[in-house]
Amino acid sequence: MKLKTIITVLFSIIFLMSSGIPENLEKKVDREVKDVFEIDFYEFEKVNVSEEIKSKLPSKIDNENFFRINSKGKVKGYVYVDKAPSKTADFDYLVIFDNNLKIARTKVLIYREEYGGEIGSKRWLRQFTGKSGEDSLDDIAAISGATISVRSMTNAVKDILKTMKILQIKKVI
Amino acid sequence: MFVLLFITSLNKNKMKKVTLALMLGFVSALSFSQTTNDSIIQDSQIEQNSAQRVISAKDGNAVTLGAYGEIVYNQPEGDNGKLDVHRLVLLLGYEFSDKVQFFSEIEIEHVEEIYVEQAFINYNVANNLNLRAGLMLVPMGIINEYHEPTTFNGVERPGMDRSIIPTTWREIGVGLSGRVNSASLSYQAYVFNGFKSTNADGTGLIGGSNGLRGGRQKGIESTVNKPNFSAKVDYYGFLGLRMGLSGYVGRTQADDEIDHVQGADVGLSMVGLDARYVFNRFSARGQFIYASLTDTEAYNDLTGKDLGSALSGWYAEAAYNLLPEDKEQKLDLFARYENYDTHAGTDGTLVANDSYNRDELTMGLSYHIAPGVVLKGDYQILDNAASGNDVNNQLNFGIGVWF
Repeated sequence: MKLKTIITVLFSIIFLMSSGIPENLEKKVDREVKDVFEIDFYEFEKVNVSEEIKSKLPSKIDNENFFRINSKGKVKGYVYVDKAPSKTADFDYLVIFDNNLKIARTKVLIYREEYGGEIGSKRWLRQFTGKSGEDSLDDIAAISGATISVRSMTNAVKDILKTMKILQIKKVI
Repeated sequence: MFVLLFITSLNKNKMKKVTLALMLGFVSALSFSQTTNDSIIQDSQIEQNSAQRVISAKDGNAVTLGAYGEIVYNQPEGDNGKLDVHRLVLLLGYEFSDKVQFFSEIEIEHVEEIYVEQAFINYNVANNLNLRAGLMLVPMGIINEYHEPTTFNGVERPGMDRSIIPTTWREIGVGLSGRVNSASLSYQAYVFNGFKSTNADGTGLIGGSNGLRGGRQKGIESTVNKPNFSAKVDYYGFLGLRMGLSGYVGRTQADDEIDHVQGADVGLSMVGLDARYVFNRFSARGQFIYASLTDTEAYNDLTGKDLGSALSGWYAEAAYNLLPEDKEQKLDLFARYENYDTHAGTDGTLVANDSYNRDELTMGLSYHIAPGVVLKGDYQILDNAASGNDVNNQLNFGIGVWF
């Protein structure tokens, strides 16, 4: 039991160190991935996207913020970490896709200002779960007092959904 | 440059210098924003927030510059109209790190009065916990915290957010704030210095018509002898709905020379309930506030004022966006009914003044021509419970910006 824990921690550290996700977010990302897929072991694999395709994507994708999640030799899904603007600052957010390219989880990792932090609400973010490139996000509920951040997060998710669809069509994922 | 000017203007109490410093600050802020504006990339995400002005310093830290303002035209029936640059507020913030921020609002009211509306440090000590200290807003109801003109309908703020919650109500204090994302709630709890009720010469500062409004110390050489407590919890776990419960308890303060005299200060407890709802093109909000005051009889005897022992009020508002939802512009048609009474209760021989029991029906339009810019027009039917009163109805127009 103890050995298992140690190995898990070591593996997580090694894989996350190589992931390129900023240090202050690593732990949070790790926790969400494990929780979503109910796994203890996994690895992040870089997804190679040609410069030509990258230039056509609505979201900024690179080797530092977008990974395939593998566990026991199987593709579990994908993880994307980025920043989006709130009123006067940026917030870090995470989107995890399952292997059907549907959103399995969204989370606001760090929110930095007074206004709009309500978008971190689990209940609100749950609206994105299950969405894929085929779905519109027009039905995402507004939050009084957080209009700008709601719009920003919704647009960010819209963009990554479109991006995933393009990557799928181009057979990158 | 702007930061330096801001600090010098805080240190010196001379109006002219402050005005000059702010004007210079304005000019530099404007030139700043123009240069950054030109280089904004037309990215869909950044576009959403194109008004934001985050200027990254070399070490990765960030200064935030912003402003909000409203210019209004009030036309009471049968009287002269009034045109006023009601307020122009400069927002200045600095992010020392992900965990430590400073935030301030410097307000110019009616073109010539300068105030500091907020100036506090926020320290994010843990995921769900911030420590705060400085000049902060008292969390009570909706408008006191969300007072930017693009966030509410109507040229004028609801009357109870002037006479019962003395918006903008801010004092110096310390406290906690935070969010619990798993429960969809946020909380705030502060210790503030309280209202000032009596000057050394026995002049009373709070009274019947506008309640506690005259007692705000606003961080101007505030006197303090008893701490006051303020807290609010907001719950937003139902989609589209957000509800708030606020409370405030304490006593007013009086100058040293008089604070031992009976009636120099009064006790105060205030409770507020508020709700805001958005569903597609429909939105609504409402608020209820009740304040109970003790020792008002002694206070009125000492100062000759007519302070009530209870203040209460409520309003309800509904709005509908006449433009399709996919448009960036919004045209909200709204109606708000409000009733508030600053003599909801009186103590001793004081007879309740019916003219303090007021109601307002406001109907109009808010045309958001871009996120952050609003043109407003409304008509207010004003009345009170005094028979034969001659309160004039009023037509209002205004422009408001927030960036």
